[in-house]
Amino acid sequence: MQGGSSGIGYGLKYQARCISDVKADTDHTSFITGTLSLREENEVHLIRLSSGGTELICEGLFSHPNEIWDLSSCPFDQRIFSTVFSTGESYGAAIWQIPELYGQLNSPQLERIASLDAHVGKINCVLWWPSGRHDKLISIDDENLFLWSLDCSKKAAQVQSKESSGMLHYLSGGAWDPHDVNAVAATCESSVQFWDLRTMKKTSAIERAHIRNANYDMKKKHILVTAEDESGIHIWDLRKPKIPVKELPGHTHWTWAVTCNPEYDGLILSAGTDSTVNLWLAPISAGDEPNSEGIAESPTQQADPLLNSYSDYEDSVYGLAWSSREPWIFASLSYDGRVVVESIKPFLSRK
Amino acid sequence: MSVQSRSDGVNTSLFEKREHIEKLHRTRNLLRKVQFIYDLPARLGKCIKSEAYADAVKFYTGAMPIFKAYGDSSFQDCKRASEDAVAIIVKNLQGKLFSDSESIQARAEAAVLLKQLDFPVDNLQAKLLEKLEQSLWDLQLKTDEIENVSMDSNDPSKQGKVSDLSPTTAHEASVREFAEAIRAYRIIFPDSGRQLITLAQDLVINHFETTEQYVKRRISSANLLGVLRTIWADVLLMDEVLHEAVLPDFSLEAAQGAVKKYVASTFTYLLQDISDVLLRVNVSPKEAAEEHPLQVALEASRKAVLQGSMDVLLDFCQFLDDDLGLLVKLRDFIIDWVQEGFQGFLSALDDRFLLLSGRKNSSSPDQGLTEGAHSEKVLAGLVLVLAQLSIFIEQTVIPRITEEIAASFSGGGARGIENGPAFVPGEICRIFRSAGEKLLHHYVNMRTQRVSALLRKRFSTPNWVKHKEPREVHMFVDLFLQELKAIGIEVKQILPQGLLRKHWRSDSNGSTTSSRSNPLRDDKMSRSNTQRARSQLLETHLAKLFKQKVEIFTKVEYTQESVVTTIVKLCLKSLQEFVRLQTFNRSGFQQIQLDIQFLRTPLKEIVEDEAVIDFLLDEVIVAASERCLDPTPLEPPILDRLIQAKLAKLKEQNPITP
Repeated sequence: MQGGSSGIGYGLKYQARCISDVKADTDHTSFITGTLSLREENEVHLIRLSSGGTELICEGLFSHPNEIWDLSSCPFDQRIFSTVFSTGESYGAAIWQIPELYGQLNSPQLERIASLDAHVGKINCVLWWPSGRHDKLISIDDENLFLWSLDCSKKAAQVQSKESSGMLHYLSGGAWDPHDVNAVAATCESSVQFWDLRTMKKTSAIERAHIRNANYDMKKKHILVTAEDESGIHIWDLRKPKIPVKELPGHTHWTWAVTCNPEYDGLILSAGTDSTVNLWLAPISAGDEPNSEGIAESPTQQADPLLNSYSDYEDSVYGLAWSSREPWIFASLSYDGRVVVESIKPFLSRK
Repeated sequence: MSVQSRSDGVNTSLFEKREHIEKLHRTRNLLRKVQFIYDLPARLGKCIKSEAYADAVKFYTGAMPIFKAYGDSSFQDCKRASEDAVAIIVKNLQGKLFSDSESIQARAEAAVLLKQLDFPVDNLQAKLLEKLEQSLWDLQLKTDEIENVSMDSNDPSKQGKVSDLSPTTAHEASVREFAEAIRAYRIIFPDSGRQLITLAQDLVINHFETTEQYVKRRISSANLLGVLRTIWADVLLMDEVLHEAVLPDFSLEAAQGAVKKYVASTFTYLLQDISDVLLRVNVSPKEAAEEHPLQVALEASRKAVLQGSMDVLLDFCQFLDDDLGLLVKLRDFIIDWVQEGFQGFLSALDDRFLLLSGRKNSSSPDQGLTEGAHSEKVLAGLVLVLAQLSIFIEQTVIPRITEEIAASFSGGGARGIENGPAFVPGEICRIFRSAGEKLLHHYVNMRTQRVSALLRKRFSTPNWVKHKEPREVHMFVDLFLQELKAIGIEVKQILPQGLLRKHWRSDSNGSTTSSRSNPLRDDKMSRSNTQRARSQLLETHLAKLFKQKVEIFTKVEYTQESVVTTIVKLCLKSLQEFVRLQTFNRSGFQQIQLDIQFLRTPLKEIVEDEAVIDFLLDEVIVAASERCLDPTPLEPPILDRLIQAKLAKLKEQNPITP
């Protein structure tokens, strides 16, 4: 039933935008999230789903110096994560480590492992390579793409290479290709640029304006899903980037985030400013030609790709993360600081 | 002596004489034969003169064996002379055979005689048939003449029935001749049947091929009927003389192709007409002469669809009303084709709408037009027209067509019951209802995107953290209101007014007036920022439990107010999102406060639900205050002064208040 509380809730004290799946934690289904408060003291919460799957327990609560605009858990070390933060006037980005035995300490403090301090101006996000152990990081600010070399033991990060996105191309975010450690997508105002990290040059682009979020499919190569403010969700085959392979309606207002399920083919989650999270089923078969008809297909010919719409939110939903450990579970975060964890098991049978 | 021996004796003595007589007899016969041979040339000559060819041939064939045996020696001269005569006879017989003025009997006889003379009749047959085939060429309906033929055929004064003895048109005359020739050759060359059938069928095939080309042009059913009448008349004429060709059934098959193509062609032209009317909307408003281009376009396109469909149906009715034998047999097929035709046409129309609105990329993927680029070329107004047109089609046109089809084009198609009826109005209605909704949403989207673009620019340009004190209301409100005005003009032309249910703030119950919605006007600035932030968040949760959220994203209806209100709501939501991405200093926050306060009045005038607008505007202020390092609002007097200043400036610029 839509609107009914089928999910498990957890409240942050302040507003928040970011939530990330702690992939490296293979014993528990956990998520890490941080607050975005301009004037209050900000916090990072490490929350875990109980073994019964009925409640969210706060594993750790850590103070964080500034409001958090981007947060990402390290895929190979569950105590390490990155944040992009702001004082209100200036931005910073850093890699943090949760202290060992934090559960037993009175008020555990985060250890700053490294500062990504080569940036000037607004920083958008920090990317880890999602597919395994890798000692590199990418950070994207308004105009530049940085490749960092990270040494956790030495607590140092060094800029390996840097490249500008070019005049009038204001970058807003990006995604690292899980199938190719040298390929990264960067979203900007009028397109999605694809970069080769070895040469630090742009290789191709999708000409499309106002893409707010892009997410690679973890299982299929060459598939990228994008969320556009008003135009909804598009699925692209990067070998033919001129026309999307599929289009999904998205949300009533803006589609803020989109993420592909790490395990199940064709399952896509999207979060929107209409305070809903939508679950879509849009499988791409191997031989799919770019769909030139878009959403204009006759409704009688295709089943509705929308499997479910979760609407138990009071504000725009900005954060979204699938759990890698239990891929039928996802966490969502609305601006008012509410985390909702849901299971899509009832809908898996519809596939 | 006995009688026996006496008679024997007489017999014996007469024996020699008898032998002698028989010898003389034989000789006389021989001489007669020789005489005959010698007389032959003369006799043949006489026969030629009197045209008694049968006799001549009989005589000659009789003499043939002797000529064979002795022709080179004793009877050389005779043979030669006879052969000369026979040559003349053959020539005359050929002439007779070829001549159309001879009676069929005579010609048949000539053929038979020639055969007897070992003359290669097959060659003659071939030659004659070739001649006949060539004459076919004159009989074929040429594409440029076909108009005349059809008009002649339709002219009641000229409509010759088959039984008329005097043919009325040149074409008919030629066909009669042709039929006569066929009849003759059937008799003359008894085994030429198959070839004649082929010739006749070729003529029919050719007629229909020409017709199929003809129907590609824009013609009326009357034109086609004329042509069919002519063809059918020809078929009946030829059927009389060549029954085995089964020409009526044969032409039925060929006719199917032609009539079916006509039906298809008619629908194609109708689709084109409607498309043309719609494309005229794409002219930029500055060039258009009309004041209300969208209204005009909608009316014109409605007419094109409804009137066009009715006209097409009326046109097809001519086929069913006509009693031409050919059409009577095709009746069931025609009913199916018309029904299928409408089904297909309406589907194609839906496709065309989506194509025109830019919602569907062109069918070849190589063109690679992105949706964004394409829709810029499409005017939003056209999309709105298409949306209304879809609803008109669903609610008015399809029922009318269904009525007409039930009245005239029903009852026994050829499809068979298991296939179901060809025209399924329910399905088509669903398609257009859905298309209408999609197009309406697309219109709202297109308009909202334009506003988004200007809001994005507005919020990403300044350095909000170091903003200066607000001097005046920012000009982005002018642009915003201008866009809304343009939208208002568009929707007024096409969409109906909804039932006015302006939701006044004073009417709403307590739950919609949450305490957080007037944080500033209610002078809560005395509380500390921290406290306020905390309690506000709590209030947010509580207040939002009471369904304010649901009202923001309601379904858009086909009314002026609904469309405008939906667009305004979405734009304000976008405003809130943009604000949330920034960080403001006090002055920046005050600027937002000023701009929003200015917008309150003009926005509430154009929407149907004031409460929601107030709420959304308040949400913007809240979002700004949350993102502000020091959210001290402007003092009310200063706020008022700045707003008045803006209003005065606007009045100055537009002296005539609308």
